[in-house]
Amino acid sequence: MKAILTDVTKCIGCFECVTACKTSHNLSNDVPRKWHRNDGLSAQNWSSIVQRPDNHYVRKQCRHCLEPACVSVCPVAALITTNTGAIIYDPDKCIGCRYCMIACPFGIPRYDWEEPVPYIRKCDFCHDRTTRGLQPACTEACPNGATIFGERDELLSEAHRRIAAEPDKYLDTVFGEHEMGGTAVLYISDIDLGFLSYPARRETPALPETTHLAMSAVPPTFIGMGALMGGLYWFCKRRDALAGKDKDKS
Amino acid sequence: MNRVKTFKTILWAITGLAVAFGAARMIFGLGAVSNLSDATPWGIWKGLNVVPGIALAAGGFVVTAVIYIMRREEFHRYAKITVLLAFLGYITAATALVAELGLPWMVWHPIIYWQHHSALFEVSWCVMLYLTVLFLEFLPTPLESTGSLAAIRRFLTKYKLVLVFLGVMISTLHQSSLGTMFLITPDKLHGLWYSSLLPILFFVSAVAVGPLMLILAVLTISALYRKPIETDILAKLAGASAIVLGLFGLIRLIDLAANGKLGLAFDGSGSAVVFLIEFTIGVLLPVAILSVKRLRRSQAGLWVAAIAGVMGIGLHRANIAGIQLVHTGPTYVPTIYEIGISLGIISAAILAFLFCVERFRMWETPWEDPRQAPEAAPEFDRVADVWLGTPRIAGRTVYSLVFIVALAAGLAIVSTDRIESSGIKEVRAVPARGGDTLFVDGNLDGYGVSFAHKAHVDREGGNASCSRCHHMSLPHDQQSGCATCHSGMYTAADVFRHDWHAGPDGGNLTCNMCHATDRERSAESAKTCDECHKDLIPTNAQITVKQYMAPSYTDAMHGVCIQCHEQKAQQLAGKESLARCATCHGQRQTEYLPAGVYEQFRDTSFNRVITPPMATGGQSDGKDAE
Repeated sequence: MKAILTDVTKCIGCFECVTACKTSHNLSNDVPRKWHRNDGLSAQNWSSIVQRPDNHYVRKQCRHCLEPACVSVCPVAALITTNTGAIIYDPDKCIGCRYCMIACPFGIPRYDWEEPVPYIRKCDFCHDRTTRGLQPACTEACPNGATIFGERDELLSEAHRRIAAEPDKYLDTVFGEHEMGGTAVLYISDIDLGFLSYPARRETPALPETTHLAMSAVPPTFIGMGALMGGLYWFCKRRDALAGKDKDKS
Repeated sequence: MNRVKTFKTILWAITGLAVAFGAARMIFGLGAVSNLSDATPWGIWKGLNVVPGIALAAGGFVVTAVIYIMRREEFHRYAKITVLLAFLGYITAATALVAELGLPWMVWHPIIYWQHHSALFEVSWCVMLYLTVLFLEFLPTPLESTGSLAAIRRFLTKYKLVLVFLGVMISTLHQSSLGTMFLITPDKLHGLWYSSLLPILFFVSAVAVGPLMLILAVLTISALYRKPIETDILAKLAGASAIVLGLFGLIRLIDLAANGKLGLAFDGSGSAVVFLIEFTIGVLLPVAILSVKRLRRSQAGLWVAAIAGVMGIGLHRANIAGIQLVHTGPTYVPTIYEIGISLGIISAAILAFLFCVERFRMWETPWEDPRQAPEAAPEFDRVADVWLGTPRIAGRTVYSLVFIVALAAGLAIVSTDRIESSGIKEVRAVPARGGDTLFVDGNLDGYGVSFAHKAHVDREGGNASCSRCHHMSLPHDQQSGCATCHSGMYTAADVFRHDWHAGPDGGNLTCNMCHATDRERSAESAKTCDECHKDLIPTNAQITVKQYMAPSYTDAMHGVCIQCHEQKAQQLAGKESLARCATCHGQRQTEYLPAGVYEQFRDTSFNRVITPPMATGGQSDGKDAE
């Protein structure tokens, strides 16, 4: 299980990660469009830097949740979790329903709105690079070690080590450790990062669990409804027969 | 029949517009015709046609269950209408989905790519199956009048009960799964609408509103074709509907109270007002009307209750499917094209509905005068030389004309300008301000670059170095700022004024002075600016003007700075940071901004937009600096 740890206090906002991401994915130039959300992410920008007050720069990218809502809602399994923990997208399966965009608690997936043949666009954890033993383009490009790549449990202990070493500097949270069931992209920071997700619900169960019960009730409902209707039919037929107005079913 | 004709003419016009808009949507993509965005990926098509539409089509399974399973023979006369209504309702939803899906030709993918955790997977399977069931349920009706294929009709009629059972079972699943779809959005959906009971609420509201929609359809056709209304039978159906609607209201209130969210309804916010409106017209009003026996048996009462119920539950669904989902980003207001497509799909469905009503025997009760029946074929009385009833061909001429005119008008409205611009927001660039240090902030968002102009001049070698960056001034103006020509912040601007050059008040040039004689006269075959305006270009200018389109302000500024910065970053030790964005793009400086501008760019969720310069595209850096 791979992960990225971003130390917000170390980021100098140089955009090397953003540029490396664009270069390695061959993403074209980006101009503000009416359909952009204003966090810098777009179909042509899979990672961005959100500037916060007092020289704070916060990387924004797909969080690669351990229990991803997008994967659980995709009706055609176009989004899947790989064994490295990356959530990758198969454009050949996608039907363009955009349910993943509705479901994502971090508002990450973006759409090719200007294309007649549009696809979902988001960070793919540099899946082709990590499978070749390389690290993602963004972490490789970082000149300051602010965003690093590694095994998730190692990076988690590293994060806790840094917080323990300088408790005054950091907030006592590893963002992404438990959030939304845990994410592969972790942050430690001196400012609150609640703005990265929709109205923050920190220690809550992962989103797929919200639909799990309802979805598992589907087969019993199907059978149950059939049985209920069958019983009702038998009852009504019997009632009519007793009432002496025996009719054939029409 | 004039009323019918007027009604249908309007529907044909809307359909024509929608076909034009739909073609534009398919050819140019979603961004060109819609206001859908990364913040609101689902719009009016989902919020009006799909999610409420499926509920309104629920009459298909509810009423057939009442007729065939509960054996309530008195409703049998509506069996065909309710099946047709459901069939067309589902086709409406499916068509809207085709407009809405990014890759509609892949709509069948859930058949081969399974993902059983997804509520949408379940919904799409059920809708496909149920459409088939509805088709088979409906098929005997048109076959009835043709007389052919009687074997198929007899077979389908014989096994009708199987289809009814399947219809109920499949509908139960997808009506509730439609609610399950929104269980995944606990953080986005407003508290008054989010509930873990959404699947149950969706199912109950569908059961309640399906018959109301049938009543509305029966009332409408009865009014259109002047058919007597059997209020006593409709009243029974409406009464049953009211009970279910009341149950729906009760579940909602209890659920809100149990979760302690009832207070949200009275906190005075916009959402609370919408909730109160929705609950009043969707639940309280119809239940109140329908619980009074006298009102229930009156036409007016049925009309009001049916419309209120349908609108209220429709609003409830629309709220969940979009209106009450929070988002950060551009506010969604559907474009005229989206509204046109949405209404056009509904219009086409109503037209198909009226077609079936007129052609097939949808009514179980015979008319007193058979020629009065809408389905009666018009006759030509040779003796009197007149048509009895409306000759169908007469209507067809008008409808075709209206449809074609609307289609043409629609194609005219969808201007190519809008499509080619693909929604790039036009931002006018403004000149840099300041003295020795210039503040370059073309779009006035406060995030500009403090450019040490004097320091650069000194470093590059005094006055002789101007031409490294400055390349051309306008005639009679030695101080043109960059923004004069590079006037679009993100879009290229045409700076060539043909009338100034060719007009007698301007240069009074003849065509051949700029255009080559043996070629078509175009911008490509004309001279470049610098061939004539040598005096306007500084000596040894590094940038020459080869084209009439001035690149965008962003591209021009980046083009002029980045090349040198990147070179110096490599050449000079300890100056690596020169190549980084943050070196120039620093903190926000609001003191430069005119009053009111800061608020315009203020964003509550994020501090600013950062669109980084391009490394790979190649379009931004090169052109101006050639």
